[in-house]
Amino acid sequence: MAHIIKILDGFSFIPRKELTVLEALEQQDVVIEYQCREGFCGSCQVNLIDGDVTYTTDPIAFIPSGKILTCCCQPDSDLTIEIPGGCRVKKRRR
Amino acid sequence: MTYTTFNQAQFDAIKEPMFFGQNVNVSRYDIQRYPVFEKLIEKQLSFFWRPEEVDLSTDRRDFVALPEHEKHIFLSNLKYQILLDSVQGRSPNVALLPVVSLPELETWIETWAFSETIHSRSYTHIIRNIVTEPAQVFDDIITNEAITKRARDITRYYDDLIAGVSLYHQFGEGHHTVNGDNVEISISDLKRKLYLTLVSVNVLEAIRFYVSFACSFAFAERSTMEGNAKIIKLIARDEALHLTGTQHMLQLMAEGKDDPEMAEIARELKEQARQIFIDAAEQEKDWADYLFRDGSMIGLNRDILGQYVEYITNQRMAAIGFEPAFAIKQNPLPWMNSWLNSDNVQVAPQEVEVSSYLVGQIDSTVESEDFSNFSL
Repeated sequence: MAHIIKILDGFSFIPRKELTVLEALEQQDVVIEYQCREGFCGSCQVNLIDGDVTYTTDPIAFIPSGKILTCCCQPDSDLTIEIPGGCRVKKRRR
Repeated sequence: MTYTTFNQAQFDAIKEPMFFGQNVNVSRYDIQRYPVFEKLIEKQLSFFWRPEEVDLSTDRRDFVALPEHEKHIFLSNLKYQILLDSVQGRSPNVALLPVVSLPELETWIETWAFSETIHSRSYTHIIRNIVTEPAQVFDDIITNEAITKRARDITRYYDDLIAGVSLYHQFGEGHHTVNGDNVEISISDLKRKLYLTLVSVNVLEAIRFYVSFACSFAFAERSTMEGNAKIIKLIARDEALHLTGTQHMLQLMAEGKDDPEMAEIARELKEQARQIFIDAAEQEKDWADYLFRDGSMIGLNRDILGQYVEYITNQRMAAIGFEPAFAIKQNPLPWMNSWLNSDNVQVAPQEVEVSSYLVGQIDSTVESEDFSNFSL
């Protein structure tokens, strides 16, 4: 079942279901922080305003309440997220 | 209470707080109050690396070719990293082991400090490879004013905690006269020192180190000193784990379930803790002045590095629930992330993406004389 990811002050899109939230955002050229991409550094956090996620890797990083670690979770329902610093899209190189 | 290396009291290890409870006796990891520390240990062990695995032969040539002011940037940055890891290789052990009261946390502290010593060894490996006289680099760390200034800010919280805990283990709580001075020893006071120490350690690993990584990777972005960058990638991977460790500790303290008094202290010291972040950011920006005093490099100068300091400080403050201190919202060094991501660390020089392959060097014209040596 396809889930919608809505970025607050941004846009909505439907990610491919095998992607993590981080990969889905990157595919949409959204600017998002990351480092370890396996759940222990905490850089890729975003605020989860609405919805549920399932973690594909057991995260070790400290995740404050209300946030999700995008590098190792996938949507379990429609999501509304807020990216710290706002939603910015990379300019695509032509 | 004097410290004992094998506490003979009987108590339930699961019910102890992280710090200032019963001294740890049996190191057991079958039952844990906070499984996250065990996970950190496992992860850190899986990351084990030796500096000698990384080949630095191209760096020697690269370093010689650097202009003088870039040599200054590279070496000063390296000296600062050496200072940080020298402190981190011993201080978590010396400051925290005497007061820790959970086996999984005690072992995480030891594993953490041990991995910092690998970093220290890697700096010697780098220096041996790029300069003929390593002593020139190492000796300057103690005599250079710009560097010793950093050392004071980094060590004062550790030193304060260590001194306080020593007195506590000698004399216990209460009013005492030590060498003619009146001292007041209380566990609450030590908990305050511990909290501020952990904040300053978090700042060291999450901000100071990352600013130094930015300098190292700025060289590699220009395809020079790439061996050094490989080592820094491995170091950065470890540091991400360490900062997660201090974030968890600070969070467990602030939550209050571990030790209700600690939650009170965290609330009381929130402004002071916030100020530690802001002061560190200012120091890092001042350091950037020193780094680039003889000239900047392509991709990095005092202003951009200053912006990065503010950006990363904001991120790290937000991660532990503090309001960001600076206005900047966008990462001024977007190329940092792919360097920090260590998925693709390849230690063999032949596997590095070489941008210097010769193109169009094949001469494909053929003349009949070319076959003159053939005979059938």
